[in-house]
Amino acid sequence: MALTTVDHSALKVNQTGIIVTVLVAFLGSWAWYRPLLVLIPLLAVVLLLGTFAPQLALFKQLYFKVLKPLGIVKPRPVQDRPEPHNFAQGLGGVFLAISSVLIFLPVDARTALVTAALGLAIALLVAALAFINLAFGYCLGCQIYFQLGKRGLIRA
Amino acid sequence: MSIQVWALAVAGIALLAAAGVEAVRSARARRRAVGATSAPAADPYILYFTGDNCTVCRTHQEPALAKLGTVRVDKVDAIVERELADRFQVYTLPTTVVMSADGRALHVNYGYAPAQKLDRQLAQARNGTLTMERTATA
Repeated sequence: MALTTVDHSALKVNQTGIIVTVLVAFLGSWAWYRPLLVLIPLLAVVLLLGTFAPQLALFKQLYFKVLKPLGIVKPRPVQDRPEPHNFAQGLGGVFLAISSVLIFLPVDARTALVTAALGLAIALLVAALAFINLAFGYCLGCQIYFQLGKRGLIRA
Repeated sequence: MSIQVWALAVAGIALLAAAGVEAVRSARARRRAVGATSAPAADPYILYFTGDNCTVCRTHQEPALAKLGTVRVDKVDAIVERELADRFQVYTLPTTVVMSADGRALHVNYGYAPAQKLDRQLAQARNGTLTMERTATA
């Protein structure tokens, strides 16, 4: 499949956005204002929309429209394929959507403690994986994409 | 305890479990790495597993391989050559395998392997002072 140019700075800004949003939701809801948890379903929507319509990818657009023109973040174009990165982003969006359902599941108070904790844990894991990608360049979603392609489950 | 504390505990346990599973899988892959291929050569050479979607391959691994000079590098598309990739338990890209001149796999590097490391492994392969060493750096 043909390679194209992917600006890796846009990916890094996206990962930073994911980490910051989850941390604000987590720490903010813990220490200050519980409704901040609504940031998690919003983030899920942003990631899923951005996967299928790149022009709606909030953090990438922030990079392309603001951070890059102002010279705050320098571009880093790399010969690459965007599909694995989109796949990873979509996977993050799916897990955050599951997390949101668990957090806001209308159940009795005792069960809600369990489901909300599980939902938050999933959101934290998504943020942890985004951090690993940002800091060490290891993209778990890309590896899953590679493994699925190797098994012929997707056209990688 | 608040839900946040429980969430932290669950996420921490999940991360530790994932790290443990990865360590076990990596160790098993190293044990099962095959010791021979059908490509004898005059000098030690490198099997380089890559793929179209591997960014680190292009940005890091290929420049590192280029630094090795005249060493033979057999590039293998891990998706197209699935059988060969499975034989070396390739679960991450890039993966590099240092082969002896008579076609034995001597070192398997899962993840990016710097030029210095490959150079050292090739030197060991030339001197015949090697042990079966495999490392996971992904």
